[in-house]
Amino acid sequence: MVRWGMVIDLKRCTGCHSCSVACKVEHHTPPGVFWAKVVRIESGKYPTVIRQAVPLLCMHCREPECEKVCPTGATKKQPDGRVTVDSDECVGCRYCAVACPYGARCFAPDWKDYFTGDKKPSSPYAEYSKKKWLEESDKGVVSKCDFCEERVEQGKQPACVNACPCEARTFGDLDDPESEVSQLIKKRRGMQLHPEYGTDASVYYLPAR
Amino acid sequence: MSQSTSSSQGDACVLQQEDFKPGARTQMEWGFGGRRRWRDGALLMALFLGGVGAGQFVVSTWLIDSVTSALVGLLVVGVGKTVAHLMYLGQPKRFYRLFLKPKTSWISRGLIFMVVFVAFGAAYLAPDIGFDWVPWETGSTFSDALLIGAILSASLVMVYDGFVLASCKSITAWNTALMPPLFFTYAVAGGTAMTYLTLIAMGSDIPNEDTLTTIDSVLLVSMFALLVIYVMNMKTSTATARESLRKLTTTKVAVAFIGVAIIAGLLVPLSLTLYQGVAATETVASVLLALSSILELSGDLSVRHSILRAGLHAPVFSEGL
Repeated sequence: MVRWGMVIDLKRCTGCHSCSVACKVEHHTPPGVFWAKVVRIESGKYPTVIRQAVPLLCMHCREPECEKVCPTGATKKQPDGRVTVDSDECVGCRYCAVACPYGARCFAPDWKDYFTGDKKPSSPYAEYSKKKWLEESDKGVVSKCDFCEERVEQGKQPACVNACPCEARTFGDLDDPESEVSQLIKKRRGMQLHPEYGTDASVYYLPAR
Repeated sequence: MSQSTSSSQGDACVLQQEDFKPGARTQMEWGFGGRRRWRDGALLMALFLGGVGAGQFVVSTWLIDSVTSALVGLLVVGVGKTVAHLMYLGQPKRFYRLFLKPKTSWISRGLIFMVVFVAFGAAYLAPDIGFDWVPWETGSTFSDALLIGAILSASLVMVYDGFVLASCKSITAWNTALMPPLFFTYAVAGGTAMTYLTLIAMGSDIPNEDTLTTIDSVLLVSMFALLVIYVMNMKTSTATARESLRKLTTTKVAVAFIGVAIIAGLLVPLSLTLYQGVAATETVASVLLALSSILELSGDLSVRHSILRAGLHAPVFSEGL
């Protein structure tokens, strides 16, 4: 059985936020909701200080904390390793958002336009986005990255992977030892965030140095 | 993309600077400063009302046998906590779904405890509050069994909030075994204070006053000890826990934690409770007791508020990336 996962090469990531924008365009997420985001961290000590852009998204853990704490069963582990939220079942208690160690979940009480001066949507695109978002997700529920389920079903790469100009992201089957992701993890010592929580994340990071 | 806040968005969908910061990240969903402040207030009230209501029921039935006070406690949980929870939910119409996963979710478990408590509590009180057609009487074996069920489930209602918070692994200020006993002790003390206030408001005498006062004093000392251990634990724990402690003691939260929860909510009531025992007149003693109870309740609310506010997620990244 396939287990989808992602490898992010921190040496290649320039922090251009293409992934964040591609994700917003693909899923029409409202303002304030970022399923893919990039943060910048500084590490090391002078004179060997490094400033690093680190892309973040849902880690699609094998043992997800969010799924354990969800009181409604809206958060589900799929057989292909993805962790999804059924917006028809979510009650918006946000226990999952509090329990997620990676800050990957977003709560949107309502859809609001980026520019709130006018009552009308600011552009045809904004109007379309609102329509699409409300078609696919109820207001007042939690949402998160689903590894672009529809794209992957069509044999495409997730939007963030597709959009990355530096090819810092690789998507594939973690259970296949010959897949590119498995090889990258093996050869370049890919690491998970917070392995001590026992979540067994499906997103791996290749060290910048 | 900047790390700025789009403040023109009102209370909804505000881009949180916290989401893009490295380092410890404040949990916004259950704390004030989130996307909907009044909803955070509703959650805090749900935690508070659940604790003190269940505590009041236990104290009123077990220690002083006051039906009115027990009924108030039951209503505080059955109505107050329920309404507060519904106000907080993003999709309140689907509230029934909250009961579906007791196997792994403490919220499901807690709500089941709450329903069981309200059912047992109401059944126990029924003969005394006008429903004399029920086929059992107060003092019968069946009634005693109902009381035991109600007290046990009330205890679980008092303690489950602590387990909800303690289950969040990345929030080190919450992920401690101290949370359940802390919430339980605060709930019993808050219940005692609510019982005092109810009886004073009704103008009735307080049965077993000496016992209650002694229990209240012991609870206040225990709460103080638990808070000291909690703070010491954070001080010697991870960097995130130390940051939570800094937030509790040196930021605006310190007003609620040190000022209201510790000084006004613990030390002053302890002094008043001890002093009211030797007060010159009964009126003075009643006033001191009422004042002490109000301060205890404000301390209870503040400590829950402070703990929610001190919740910081451990940094997503560690050195070496």
